Amino acid sequence: MFDLLIVAATLVCALQAIRSPRLLMSALWLASASALTALLMYLLGAPEVAVIELSVGAGLVTVLFVFAINIAGEELPDLRALVPKPLAWLVAIGAMALGAWMAMPGLRTPAPALQQPPFAVVLWEQRTVDVLLQVVLIIGGVLGVLGLLGPGGAQAGKEKRS
Amino acid sequence: MPSIGTLAILSIAIPWTGALAVWLARDRRPALQHVLAVGFALAGGVAAVAMIPQRTEANVFGAALGSAFGELTFLPDGLAVFLAVVATVIGSLAVIFSLDYMRGERQQARYYALVLFFIGAMVGLVLSSNLLLVFVFWEITAFCSYALISFYNDDPKAVAAGIKALIMTQVGGIGLLAGALLLYAYQGSYDVPTFLAAATQLPPEVLAVMAFGFLVAAAAKSAQFPFQTWLPDAMEAPTPISALIHAATMVNAGVYLLARFYPAFEAVPHWRLAVITVGAVTALMAAVMAIVSNDLKRVLAHSTVSQLGYMVYAIGAGGVFASQFHLLSHSVFKALLFLSAGAVIHAVHTRDMREMGGLGRRMPLTRVVMIIGALALAGIPIVNGFWSKELILEVGHEGGPAWAWYVMLAGAGLTALYTLRFITMVFYGEPHAKGHVHDAGPAMKVALVPLALGTLTTWLIAGDFARFLGRAAAGGHGEAAAESTGALLAQVATAPATLVALLVIAAGLCGYWQRARLSGLARALEGVAVMARHNFGFEAINRGIVGATAGAAESLRATQPGILNWNVMAILVGLVVVLAILALGGA
Amino acid sequence: MTLSLPALVAVAVVGLLGIGLAGLLVTRNLIKVVVGMQVMVKGGMLAMVLAGHLCGQVQTGAALALTVIVADTIVSVVALAFAVQVRRRFGTLDLQALSTLRR
Repeated sequence: MFDLLIVAATLVCALQAIRSPRLLMSALWLASASALTALLMYLLGAPEVAVIELSVGAGLVTVLFVFAINIAGEELPDLRALVPKPLAWLVAIGAMALGAWMAMPGLRTPAPALQQPPFAVVLWEQRTVDVLLQVVLIIGGVLGVLGLLGPGGAQAGKEKRS
Repeated sequence: MPSIGTLAILSIAIPWTGALAVWLARDRRPALQHVLAVGFALAGGVAAVAMIPQRTEANVFGAALGSAFGELTFLPDGLAVFLAVVATVIGSLAVIFSLDYMRGERQQARYYALVLFFIGAMVGLVLSSNLLLVFVFWEITAFCSYALISFYNDDPKAVAAGIKALIMTQVGGIGLLAGALLLYAYQGSYDVPTFLAAATQLPPEVLAVMAFGFLVAAAAKSAQFPFQTWLPDAMEAPTPISALIHAATMVNAGVYLLARFYPAFEAVPHWRLAVITVGAVTALMAAVMAIVSNDLKRVLAHSTVSQLGYMVYAIGAGGVFASQFHLLSHSVFKALLFLSAGAVIHAVHTRDMREMGGLGRRMPLTRVVMIIGALALAGIPIVNGFWSKELILEVGHEGGPAWAWYVMLAGAGLTALYTLRFITMVFYGEPHAKGHVHDAGPAMKVALVPLALGTLTTWLIAGDFARFLGRAAAGGHGEAAAESTGALLAQVATAPATLVALLVIAAGLCGYWQRARLSGLARALEGVAVMARHNFGFEAINRGIVGATAGAAESLRATQPGILNWNVMAILVGLVVVLAILALGGA
Repeated sequence: MTLSLPALVAVAVVGLLGIGLAGLLVTRNLIKVVVGMQVMVKGGMLAMVLAGHLCGQVQTGAALALTVIVADTIVSVVALAFAVQVRRRFGTLDLQALSTLRR
């Protein structure tokens, strides 16, 4: 019962994040969706990742959103999109449901009881390449942001304007 | 000496590395560019030549390319190595010639890079024995040809010619792709030697579809009927490109395809007759069009189409060796003719022959080499063109229907006629050229002289060449009879067909020489001339096809507006379709 | 209808992915695009952990989910910086107004 409530709440938060007309409210709904996702992950048995998701997804990304929205400013309410809304919802949910339906046999098989080493060991020893990849990504992201928002980027913006 | 597999990969990789190196060298350092271009081209030639002693009829493994493509295997038998050597050696000579011809042009990095890329792709095309990879290399050569035809991309004529060539050859590419996919569906692999050995095990309808698909592909690539309009228009390309791509290499790909797959398709009903018809009709039509053309390069282009028609006819009649021998002669003398035409055009800055004339005195070397090439083209005895053309006529006499043989004879006579015509118009007669006319530059001479020597001598290796081609020469039926050169030449020289052909050629020459007296006849045939100038109606058809393709592309542009919502929608719909197919197929 | 945790989380995954995709289809604001993408990625992360849970290898699933978190955070950082620059240069965040392909 408890689980059903959490899942329902997650979906409601995500829905509101998409539908909300004000960007700031969207960001806050997104934060609560992240928190609930973290809770679900903890319930599934991955507490470390749940904590990371809570701090990064619900904390860091939300702060970033608030900054960006403040700098970029609010816009007029959303105009009509190219794709009609009912069609969009139908296709999106339908595609994902189809994929899940194809994966359903996987849900029915009982989980084997494997003993795995703790999370830290798995991460650093078995998935070292992933960690390297993350480092590369972070460096790339920093370079990207520097290029966009750093002194060079602002210069380019000013040149374009004048 | 590296293994044959390594050499095969090297002869593709060296030109491609050269292309990258030249492109990275940028236009600011032309000397470095030229050194790199010539160096890599020559190195590719060395790698190809080094394969000659190591050729083998067995499949050589190159690299594994994952389960979708099969393996990169090579079949470096005589036929493939021969064409690889032709591509790289004549490619190197064209690159050397370009040093003088393209002096002062802009964006030479793009030019040399594309030429080297093309050479590598051509070598890959003939060496591969994985049919899907043959198709990939085929498409790469088509792209390079398009890019090089439109090299002067601020000239709308050049761009239009490039697009036309691309669309025409892509139609052929469909035939090749269909054949490759059918092969995979019925054989389970793309391997060519397996197919050649067991072709009769495929259902006859499938084999017929493949055979005619390949014929369409070869006809489109080699500018045969009904695809013959793109080659004359492709003369907007710089002349070394015309020499390399549209005379000596890319158009040979079609003939190579037919020669390679002849053992598999010769039993398909009506296929050989179709091949003979295509070859004969093309040869005659193109010869007629060459007579009425006033643009020097167009005359040579029409003559290329006509000579390719001879080769295709020979394959249809069963003379694979004859066609390859003529291919060897033709590559050499046609490259020679184009490059010397390039020297002439570079000197007088025009392609119109009515503005030339009397250049013989001022361009002595060019005149000599061009006359040598012309002798070969017309089939005058002693030069290599004579031997190979007579061999084709003899093979056709024995293996093909009589009407086709008469058509080819008439073509030979017309060839002699237009050859004498363009030589006279360019080098003799009243000088019409204005301004200073200089002979070919030093780099041009370095390229022209070996080709002239080749024209004079390649017929001497006829016997060794037959042995070299091995199984492929006999149309796949065991080893060719190991005839010596002398025996082959004697056979050609004493055949009655040869005598008849010589008489027809002499008639053609006299016809031109006495043209003043025959002017009545010329006026009577004026209608034919007008039709020939308009390419017998094919130009209109092709313009329609190109227009329709461009129109379809324009109207499809509405589906790509660059808006995120639309793109995500398209992705989702595609995903749903794929999932539905998987769900239904699995269940 | 089963009420076991894995089944419910599967429903959550499908729901999140679908909602995120629908958001991408419907919105015209660049920052809303980033929000939609974030929602999708939450669904993806949950899917990884769920798969790990079902195979008995929760820790591996969690390690993969961590990679996804890092990647998606980086992407949203760069995307938001991009949105800020776009707002400065072009004065609008509307996708249709920003698209410069000839129509």
